[in-house]
Formats: sequence, C-alpha cells, structure tokens
Amino acid sequence: MLHTKIVDSKKEKILTSNAEKFIKDSKFGASIYFLGTVRNTNDNKVVTGITYDSHDEMVIKSFKEIYNEADQKLDINDKAVFIEHVKGKLKLGEISIIIAVACKHRDQAYILSRFIIEEIKKRSPIWKKEHYDNEDSAWLKGNPITNKSSSKV
Amino acid sequence: MKIKLQLFGSSRDFSKKDHLMLEVKDKASIKDLRNEIIHYLDKSFKGNESFIKIVNSSAFCSENNEIISDNYKITKDQKIGIIPPIGGG
Repeated sequence: MLHTKIVDSKKEKILTSNAEKFIKDSKFGASIYFLGTVRNTNDNKVVTGITYDSHDEMVIKSFKEIYNEADQKLDINDKAVFIEHVKGKLKLGEISIIIAVACKHRDQAYILSRFIIEEIKKRSPIWKKEHYDNEDSAWLKGNPITNKSSSKV
Repeated sequence: MKIKLQLFGSSRDFSKKDHLMLEVKDKASIKDLRNEIIHYLDKSFKGNESFIKIVNSSAFCSENNEIISDNYKITKDQKIGIIPPIGGG
C-alpha cells in the first residue's frame, strides 16, 4: 500500500496527520515517521529558508520504483508507505519530506524507512536552493543521478 | 529539429523561462544536445564556467520520464529535461 505526492507549498501544507491516517492499520505493530526539516545552518552559512524544485513525474516514478524494490531487496511485502515531498519555498523548521512506514515488526519498519530516504537522496530528481541571511542564495551541489546503467540508448 | 529543453534545479539559472528552445540536426545525440547547450551558454553568458560544469554533470530525461544516455538519438521535435546533480530530502 503506497501513497505518493509532491506538495506545492504555494497551494497547500504537508501534514503528518495525512500520513497517520494513511498508514494506520491494526495489522501493523510498528510505525515510523521520518520528517526532513529546514535547518538553520549549512557549511558555516546562516540559512533562512530553502526552495525545493522537483521533476514531479520522475520523482513520483522513483518513489514507486523504490517501494517496489523494497519488496525484492528487503523482502518486506506487507507494509504501508506514505511519501510526500514539498516543492516551493520553505522557512526554517518547516517539513520538506514525510516518509511514514508501517510494518508488522519494528526491525522491518526501521530498515524500510532508512532504505527509502537513502534511495530518494540517490535517485529522485529534487533540488535545493538555500537562502542566506545576507539575501544571497545558492543551489546546492548535489549528486549526479546514479541510475545511468538503466538509461535508454 | 526543435528541442524544448525543460530546466530544473541549478539549470533554471540558464533562463528566466522554465525552458530553452534549441535547434539540433536530425538524429543528433544527447552528446550533441549537450554541446548545443554549451554553445548557447557561450553566447548568452560568455561561457560561464559554473553553468558549463552543470551541463557536463547533468543527466537528461525523455518525454516518457526515462533517463536517456549520451548516445540516445533525437529523431523528432521533442521535450527533453536536463537533470542536474540532485539532492532532495
């Protein structure tokens, strides 16, 4: 069971209550909520906010692929996964990503939650532009997309 | 052929719009498109080195939202997305 969405911060708020509603089920004994939030410093610079950019279709596709790979690689078949990522400008402390997972047991839930965030970092086309206290801003360097082996010729 | 290059992340600084319109020859490869973008940056931004670095470290994606390799042949007018190094979360 999977829910995915890109939340446009200009139009709506990302809410943990939506995640809770989605993953809640008495067949699961362990739930984990991972929240990414905007931090106030990076590389010794005072950060005042972050703008997130996203290739929406590819991001949603990557979330689905990551979910399906969890079946094969982690052998966790019975699970509920809620993934939402924000695009647009966020202030300090605001939530950029929610990954909520529910599984039968805690070992599975911890492994699954970690697997999903690490894979998103590696392969979901999302970008961050940091805003600083001196009115300056900069796109973060990021990592070149890694799934070139599966690319079409 | 006409390519609508959709800009994302750091490549958004290449234009005030969210895309670039570029002309490439028939059956041009992604490698050729990369060179065409660099040519545009040479003209418009005097060869801004950090912009060229972005192009050289970017992947590209098709209209079907698949990553396409440097050998991919462009056979019709189409939209292609430039995917600079990523880092969400």
